[in-house]
Amino acid sequence: MAAIWVHEFADCITCHSWSPDESMIAFCPNNSEVHIYRLLDDKWDKLYVLQKHDQIVSGIDWSARSNKIVTVSHDRNSYVWNKEGAEWVPTLVILRLNRAALCVQWSPKENKFAVGSGAKTVCICYYEQENNWWVSKLIRKRHESSVTSVAWHPNNVRILLASEKLFCYKILLATTSTDGKCRVFSTFIKGIDTKDSRAGASADTKFGEQIIQLDLSISWSFGVKWSPSGNTLAYVGHNSMIYFVDDVGPSPSAQSVALRDLPLRDVLFISEKVVIGVGFDCNPMVFSVDETGLWHPLTMLAHIPGPIPLAGIESGSFRTFLRFLGERRSASSGVKSGSQFSEAFGKFYGQSKNGSSNDETSKGHGVHNNCINCILPLKRAGDSPLFRFSTSGLDGKVAVWDLQGQEDLREFL
Amino acid sequence: MDAHVEADNAEAIITRIEHKSNKIETLLKQYKPIEALKTALEGSPPKTKDERCKSANWIVVHRALMAIKDLDSLFSALDAEYYDILMKYLYRGLSTGDRPTCDQCLRIHERLTEKAGLGCILRCLADTVNTV
Repeated sequence: MAAIWVHEFADCITCHSWSPDESMIAFCPNNSEVHIYRLLDDKWDKLYVLQKHDQIVSGIDWSARSNKIVTVSHDRNSYVWNKEGAEWVPTLVILRLNRAALCVQWSPKENKFAVGSGAKTVCICYYEQENNWWVSKLIRKRHESSVTSVAWHPNNVRILLASEKLFCYKILLATTSTDGKCRVFSTFIKGIDTKDSRAGASADTKFGEQIIQLDLSISWSFGVKWSPSGNTLAYVGHNSMIYFVDDVGPSPSAQSVALRDLPLRDVLFISEKVVIGVGFDCNPMVFSVDETGLWHPLTMLAHIPGPIPLAGIESGSFRTFLRFLGERRSASSGVKSGSQFSEAFGKFYGQSKNGSSNDETSKGHGVHNNCINCILPLKRAGDSPLFRFSTSGLDGKVAVWDLQGQEDLREFL
Repeated sequence: MDAHVEADNAEAIITRIEHKSNKIETLLKQYKPIEALKTALEGSPPKTKDERCKSANWIVVHRALMAIKDLDSLFSALDAEYYDILMKYLYRGLSTGDRPTCDQCLRIHERLTEKAGLGCILRCLADTVNTV
């Protein structure tokens, strides 16, 4: 199976994050708490409950190297949690927001984190040694609506300024917003970030400078991510579209792909050539790029109108994964359009009933029964390329997926 | 200045739609309703804000839409690139409240949803800028 395990932790999960060694998971069960569980003898033990926020925790990020957890909440505050002995000790970060904080991510160097908010701003927070205090610096300009997602550029040195023929060190951050735009900002902060030796003296590294604005979506945009090299950017629109942008810089090239199904909420690059999208359709979708640089939904390959023969499902677990996507679709297409609404409901709540004739498929069906809103890579040291990822959703489940041994994906990984 | 340009532009669009209308009438006389619908959907003016243009094109699309009888041959002949724009016009048809129009639009809507998926509906409902 593509999903190697599924566990229902709560009624609803807003977000989740893994400890550096992946032995522990932190998630918010749709309230003001953050629960940390550890897998011990095939059983999940609740180890800690982090209680400090007053409202729903909307973002959690557990840093890979420094073992710090940053949480943001609708209560407009953020905490950085540090493990001291057996306790998680919180440090308040005042974000200076007048609306909810919506998402958070540590920078690749883990010396800063970025918070997207409903106040049309992005906060870049960094630690000030002399004051023992996290400072929040705001990018107030540009966003005309809530910032739904933030993503740090993985290595930051690839932007070539066409006019100056110089590599410019900018510390790039991509954001998506409910005004439909995807933007890329420079977040260089003097004293915190050190200039790359290749950066030219004339290279202007102003904090909060907008590098590019992508105006592809006509509705809310969500879930922005960079490819591992930082060459490609992907984000999704609430109008069932996914956008891929190559060569982010002076002359970007963009591609829009229309989906057959419900919109996506978040994306993840598995490699330069494979993207997984998750969202309201409850099933991860796979996208891949062909030799000509065009992105395609791989799942479409599995779509054959009418009933799909179940034979041969055992061969190749990934094929199974594709098939059950197609199979579920054919099951729902029998519903008359007069009951569109109940069809949507059936998708959300009655899914596990479909395809129960085949153990293999029914197992696949029930992986998520509601909107998936969070997808994270699972990568142990030396684990290259990336094969595993985890998803969590409004059904309160966390699932771990493995693409290893998927012959039809091998050429892309 | 902008309003003036828009007005000039609108006149051009209206003229184009009139040409289209003639072409569609010819196609309908030749019993080619699917070709007529394709022609009607092509070059729809969603980008303009001018309601006259939108209404004029809707009349043309409506004319072709109501002539469609055989849905099987419609969907075997209609390419995926027409799905999104057709869905928009179906919702415009449903909003008229006219009984025969709604009946026809619902019939096509059912088949189009089967063919193009819920994503097509989402794109149509979410698009508040490029309306038809």
